[in-house]
Amino acid sequence: MTSAGTQAGRGAVRRAVRVRRVKVSVGTALLVLAAAYVLAPLYWLLIASTKNSSQLFSTSTFLPPAHLSLGANASSLFSYGGGDFKFWIINSAVYATVTAALATGVSTLTGYSLAKYRFRMRRPVFGLVVGSLMVPTTALVVPLFMLESYLHLNNSYQGVILPLAVYPFGAYFMSIYALDAVPDTLMDAARIDGAGELKIFWKVARPVLMPGMATLFLLAFIGTWNNYFLPLVLLGDPTRFPLTVGLATWASELHLAGTSQPLYPEVILGSLVSVLPLLILFPFLQKYVARGLTFGAIAGE
Amino acid sequence: MTATLRQGAGRAGDADRRTSAGRPRPAPRAQRRVAAGMTAPFLVLFAVFFVGPLIYSLVLSLKAGGTGAFAGLLNYHAVIGNAQYWGGVQRMAYFGVIQVTIMIGLALVLALYLDSTYCVGRKFFALVYFLPYAVPGVIAAIMWAFLLEPDLDGALKVPHLLGLASGPLNPLGFRFALYAIMLIVTWEFAGYNMTILLTSLTNVPRQIVEAARIDGCSELGIAWRIKFPLIRRTVMFTVILSIIGTLQLFNEPVLLNDIASIGSSYTPNQIIYNTAFSFGNEPLAAAQSVLLAAITIGATVAFYGIIRRRADPFGATRRLR
Repeated sequence: MTSAGTQAGRGAVRRAVRVRRVKVSVGTALLVLAAAYVLAPLYWLLIASTKNSSQLFSTSTFLPPAHLSLGANASSLFSYGGGDFKFWIINSAVYATVTAALATGVSTLTGYSLAKYRFRMRRPVFGLVVGSLMVPTTALVVPLFMLESYLHLNNSYQGVILPLAVYPFGAYFMSIYALDAVPDTLMDAARIDGAGELKIFWKVARPVLMPGMATLFLLAFIGTWNNYFLPLVLLGDPTRFPLTVGLATWASELHLAGTSQPLYPEVILGSLVSVLPLLILFPFLQKYVARGLTFGAIAGE
Repeated sequence: MTATLRQGAGRAGDADRRTSAGRPRPAPRAQRRVAAGMTAPFLVLFAVFFVGPLIYSLVLSLKAGGTGAFAGLLNYHAVIGNAQYWGGVQRMAYFGVIQVTIMIGLALVLALYLDSTYCVGRKFFALVYFLPYAVPGVIAAIMWAFLLEPDLDGALKVPHLLGLASGPLNPLGFRFALYAIMLIVTWEFAGYNMTILLTSLTNVPRQIVEAARIDGCSELGIAWRIKFPLIRRTVMFTVILSIIGTLQLFNEPVLLNDIASIGSSYTPNQIIYNTAFSFGNEPLAAAQSVLLAAITIGATVAFYGIIRRRADPFGATRRLR
């Protein structure tokens, strides 16, 4: 009786383990399928960048060619059209770095003061910041173009950087981040010790705001690096293009009649070059970026 | 003066209650001056590159293209009668209903699964799914356009070679282009939304989940009956972000048109771009973009209104207002 009972119990446990194992296998298989959807184009980009024009149309899509053409592709990528591509890399890096630094600095100051000081403009400014999150950027593009033409800012670095450095989300993010990150007691203690407000910001607040600033910097950097619409509208000079606008221009020439040699390998390798740095760094940055994305959604929960 | 400030602080919510107890109020003049100084750079940039252009857009939309004379609501009249514009808006509405549902559904299922006890390799998959966030929309479109291009992709020729189709499939033909864009946009943003949901799930109190498990609730039951209701607000937040993104679609259709000629007036944003920069009618483009902004805000508010009683996706803002 007892032994039969334990046996039945063992059988049930074994069955449960087996059911669980099947569920885990099926689930994992579906996760792998979803991962394949994500990775397939990136893998293809890597493989295709080693093929020349004729190999692209003759060899198997997802397999490397017998003779790698990566070297030839690279030299034509950097020499085509007067070597514009190297400018695009530099421009993308400059736009993204300077915009992110400026946006982070400005947003941090604003968010900190909104969170930590009672001043008359506090609520109107916060209302503006939150309200502007709702405004689609489309509504700004046409007048920005006209404003920059008027100020002779188009085709300049500032012309791209300044509009993108206006980052209401950053101010919103920082105001909520600073609310919890900088303890009022610490600020008061510093005041009692005779520290001025600027010194308190620099010595007390800035160190604890650093992780939030890292998040903001990354979000602004990726946002600028990936931006296409605004630089497309504001820039006409190919040597000022970022990678996105430059590569899109080449891609648009692929099907034009009369193009002597379509730029397939150049567009493909250029695309790889423009995504590789961020993809390689992404495992290290993921944590900071994810925190920024979720902030608006979870801070109130 | 003191009274109003105190009152303002009192209304500002939970987070401020703690500070109002600990700190004398109102802030001394030195503090207010520092605060004004710290906000100034933002306000200057914001005024010149955001509020200014926004107001100018409204003014511009009331002028006549070419002459620049005041034209009243003539541009708006023209937009309202423009079938191409509404075709684009309608296309995006159709696109949004299908694509946003699929994408958020996928993101939610993946997030709930990664958060369950059945999941193996959570960290790895969470990273992989999030990767497309680091890829510019333009590059995503280029990759997928090449992958879907029948000339380049061997896989699309298989049905033809087997005699199942009269020619190579062309997923980038005008009819299929909308679905190709759905595939691309889902690729770009499903993982992004999943990341938002997954982080929200880590905030679900473990005790509640454990209690349900002890009570014999299945993993599926826990995911659907416990976790999902607790992150519903975040789900709504991702839906709103996606609606805004859909109505502003630009990069992907532009690139698909460059590579596969799907048409240059596929989305409202493309139409606005063409009006301003191909036809040089900036006032009309301004009217089109003001209307698109209104439609976007309208769609957001409508959706928000529907779900308002249940969830508050911008709940965080209450703490500071």
